[in-house]
Amino acid sequence: MEYESHVKHFKDLQENMLVVLTIRDLTPGKHKYNARVARVQLSRSPEALANWDKLWVLSVVGIQDPQPWGMKIVEELGITIPGKPYSDIYETLAKM
Amino acid sequence: MTAEKANEAPKDQRSFMETLQRSGDLAVVDREVHWDMELGAISRRMTEMDGPAIWFRKITDYPGQSLFVNPISTWRRAAVTLGLPAHARIPEIYEEYIRRESHLIPPVEVKDSACREVVIRGKDVDVCNLATPMIHDGDGGRYIGTWCIVVCKDPDTGWVNWGTYRFMIHNTQYLAGWPFPPSHAGKILQEKYVPRNKPMPIAIVMGADPSSHLAATSSTRIGRDEASLAGGLAGRPIEIIRCLDSDLTFPANAECVLEGEILPDRIAHEGPYAEYPGYRSGEMGAGILMKVNTITHRKNPVLSMDCTGFKDCSSIVTALGGGVAVRRTLERAGVPVTGVYIPSEGAVHLCIVGVSRGGREVTEQVLNALTGRRTYFTKILVVDDDVDIFNLGEVIHAWATRCHSERGTIIKHVEGSAQALTPCYDMEERSRRAGAAAAFDVTWPPSWDRTEIPVKARFDATFPAEVKKKVLDNWKSYGF
Repeated sequence: MEYESHVKHFKDLQENMLVVLTIRDLTPGKHKYNARVARVQLSRSPEALANWDKLWVLSVVGIQDPQPWGMKIVEELGITIPGKPYSDIYETLAKM
Repeated sequence: MTAEKANEAPKDQRSFMETLQRSGDLAVVDREVHWDMELGAISRRMTEMDGPAIWFRKITDYPGQSLFVNPISTWRRAAVTLGLPAHARIPEIYEEYIRRESHLIPPVEVKDSACREVVIRGKDVDVCNLATPMIHDGDGGRYIGTWCIVVCKDPDTGWVNWGTYRFMIHNTQYLAGWPFPPSHAGKILQEKYVPRNKPMPIAIVMGADPSSHLAATSSTRIGRDEASLAGGLAGRPIEIIRCLDSDLTFPANAECVLEGEILPDRIAHEGPYAEYPGYRSGEMGAGILMKVNTITHRKNPVLSMDCTGFKDCSSIVTALGGGVAVRRTLERAGVPVTGVYIPSEGAVHLCIVGVSRGGREVTEQVLNALTGRRTYFTKILVVDDDVDIFNLGEVIHAWATRCHSERGTIIKHVEGSAQALTPCYDMEERSRRAGAAAAFDVTWPPSWDRTEIPVKARFDATFPAEVKKKVLDNWKSYGF
């Protein structure tokens, strides 16, 4: 399956790291782009890119990194997360 | 009243579309179009061509639903909204808006409406069943709230606020949105509901009559009833109806309504989204979360959308309602204002103010008046009233020649009120809502002797009346 996620800085993502992201499902159909929150493992190893889900990463202004990541969902964290309205989603995800 | 008698304003979205079709301002697309960027790309290109609104009648995955795009992204369509002929001139449209908005007409509440033909509640709610485009590549999601009326209520005063704010689909029952934090809805949420840890009832209304949408986008003061303003703009009372799940009221002629609540303790990723400044700025992903509990709509609903970006609906409606509000603000501040124009080319960042008496002091007065709770304008031009503020060529000429680059430029720093969408702000400024506004004194100094003020080298200013008359009378005979 393929997903996408907007992140604050591309450089924050590193090989084999575990990170909490909002991931959007790119499966075609009426539910394309639906989002949920998950703890994921990322890798750009040939094995991961061939066998794991694929994650396309976009910057805060929506520019896509041309090189995807292999992504393994380690833990589903739900549709929404705790937080006050207008709080910084990136900071909140980083603390999870 | 304008040169041509104003007609009745359209009573609902469908009659508005019929009027636009008659004036050549609506294109109907019967070919199937995909909601995933194809529809957005067509609409964006048409906007940039100053083309007509579009009615997409066949959308992939959504049989029976259609989409009305860019309702008021040109002055022609703004004119039709106010019952004027589409070819009305911009000053005439302003004049008509001012005439109508000064006579508020309270709404009339009704018990039933066509927007209840289909009712979906509770676990059956799935917002993905509404034709919602992925408008631009790279957006954070599918924006369902673009040309919409967002309704909320101050629990202490009972004031019901209509505004237009962006909302995107997060998942089947959740929308993430971003009303500008100092906006009316943002303030009500942060001051009245979050401190009490209470969810804020909300309704998102699509496809209402254009007067109601225009009222929702107006820069009106807190406490002013937008439903009555909509009635004034329409020239008759707007029929309103109460939500099924709350006491919020909205235009009964709407095509579709999403009822729900903003959660005080949950969030989701919102944005980024390409907006009215003509850019996708990256406003730090700090939005709000709506749980959708009920969807009601007409059978075969005609949903509504603003294909945001350069010269979108926001630019025109802000130029209109916002321009009038700015004029009132300046009048209250004692500025000798003769007119205000917010050209769509300036994407709500440029404001042109005509004054009968200029100078640095007046320019500073204008700057201070327009940098209060919200600082939308980053460039303000204060021009003499011999300049036609609606003629950008004349304005640029005056700016380039009359504004002293040193003495005529005043810059004010703002903290907490700047618009985070302003493209030239860096990420740190966005998060603090910090920025600056520059006012340009494009007027002759009042201290200058009238006999020493440079004379315009123009046909209308540098020739005797009899010479001008002779030239005009004989114009064709010169062989032109």
